[in-house]
Amino acid sequence: MLKRRFFLNKIVLFLSTLSAILGLIFLFWILITLTIKGITSLNLHLFTSDLVDNGLRNLLIGQFILAGIATLIGVPVGVLAGIYLQEYSYNSRLAEIIRNLSDIMMSAPSIVIGVFVYSILVIPVGHSNGWAGIVALAVMMLPIVVRTTDDMLSLVPKELREAGVALGVPKYRVIFDIVIRAAKVGITTGILLAFARIVGETAPLLFTSGNNEFFTLDLNHQFPSLTVAIYNLATMPNPQLVKIAWAGAFVLVVVVLIINLIGRYLVKDKK
Amino acid sequence: MIMEVKDFYFYYPNTTQPALKGINLPFYENKITALIGPSGCGKSTLLRSLNRIHDLYPGNRYEGEILLKNLETGEMENILEWKKEEELIQLRQRVGMIFQKPTPFPMSIYDNVAYGLRLQGKKKSEIDEKVEEALKGSALWDEVKDRLKQDARGLSGGQQQRLCIARAIALEPEILLMDEPTSALDPISTIAIEELAIKLREKVSIVIVTHNMQQASRISDYTAFMYLGELVEFGETSQIFLNPKEQRTIDYIAGKFG
Ligand SMILES: Nc1ncnc2c1ncn2[C@@H]1O[C@H](COP(=O)(O)OP(=O)(O)O)[C@@H](O)[C@H]1O
Ligand SMILES: [Mg+2]
Repeated sequence: MLKRRFFLNKIVLFLSTLSAILGLIFLFWILITLTIKGITSLNLHLFTSDLVDNGLRNLLIGQFILAGIATLIGVPVGVLAGIYLQEYSYNSRLAEIIRNLSDIMMSAPSIVIGVFVYSILVIPVGHSNGWAGIVALAVMMLPIVVRTTDDMLSLVPKELREAGVALGVPKYRVIFDIVIRAAKVGITTGILLAFARIVGETAPLLFTSGNNEFFTLDLNHQFPSLTVAIYNLATMPNPQLVKIAWAGAFVLVVVVLIINLIGRYLVKDKK
Repeated sequence: MIMEVKDFYFYYPNTTQPALKGINLPFYENKITALIGPSGCGKSTLLRSLNRIHDLYPGNRYEGEILLKNLETGEMENILEWKKEEELIQLRQRVGMIFQKPTPFPMSIYDNVAYGLRLQGKKKSEIDEKVEEALKGSALWDEVKDRLKQDARGLSGGQQQRLCIARAIALEPEILLMDEPTSALDPISTIAIEELAIKLREKVSIVIVTHNMQQASRISDYTAFMYLGELVEFGETSQIFLNPKEQRTIDYIAGKFG
């Protein structure tokens, strides 16, 4: 009996190690290919000119504008919703529903969010526009921010809230001056990771903000983004354009990696 | 008498049995009153009724009266009748509270003490003065005067607890509630807090919950012994410890239970 268990244990260990190695092989394959093709395609021209002139400039700026404004919308709404859940709902039915809904939204395929926003913000207008892309990204970000805020606030000991109230501090001031501050690092990290998540998204932008070869700041029309451009360029017959796609993909991965590293560093620093 | 609890019952949400049953208890001015009794007998529940911090959670219910002396008119006012948010805020500025675990706010040492004063709308110069006074009053000034801008969470446990006391006394409360303020501290910090309590008695009336009977006998003027949500016996500390009247008090002090 014991022997059999021992044997089983070995098999399971072997199989799981094997799958881990398999996963790692593919991961490194992707990363190495991306790095080689990316670096060899990189040049300064890419950062000084727009897609019309075979550059990435308008795409990079566009991507950050979309993700940045989406963050400006998603963060306050998400943080306030998280505050409601943790500080005001007293775990009512409504809070339970919001939590579940937000969990479902978090696992909703991003293309579904893209199509949804397409139907409410693109079809009525008649053409793709930057705002639609922003809304789609904000919708993607929202549940992540809600969840993180909710979780991070729940880690703040209730004694700290009580200590504030016991000093004659109004509840909303206790929350904003004391509780949020105590959870600051965790919430900031969550926001950074949420940003890293949306900044590399293609599906929510594909039908919403569309594509634009030119530099623009006009969010009422088609708006450039790196991810959608990569999607389009990667399948082009022209090898020059495919090279731009590789370079763009490499830049994107580096950016996301850096943001993630900052996030992780913050978490570690806290501990 | 600065505060008086009369025929007081307390119910936690979704419970039929009251956690406190018919408590009658006076608190005297500029005295230290100790609440003792075995764990779960309702000491914290009673203490937390005195500044109505139970109101933070929905569904808690008070019955009876808790009277607080109005220092201007000398009248006793029932704090359980206060409904408005401002009334509760004022109550808590008059009745401060120190918790079992130190609760420094995530801000600098200075800001911890200044925070409550700022909310009261005090001027910068006055705040500076009061912060120093409160830190001196809590015997912390010499240890922190060179690092007022540092994060309060970097202080030792005993220092944090004295900071919380400074924070509370900066608002010049009439009463200070302490819920086992030394049970998370080392013996030396414990002695420091006890000496501090004795010193503060000149300015503020203190109600202290403790499960440490030596502590109660060392520092308190009056002692209330509670058991299973009831007040069993109240009297001068020497009487309760040397000459208790109730059998349950005798047993508890002899260490037969709890
Ligand atoms: N939030 C709560 N909800 C329900 N019952 C509680 C709550 N807090 C304390 N009690 C109960 O009330 C009684 C008194 O508790 P407490 O005042 O904390 O005792 P003590 O401070 O003397 O140890 C205990 O039986 C405890 O289980
Ligand atoms: Mg207690």
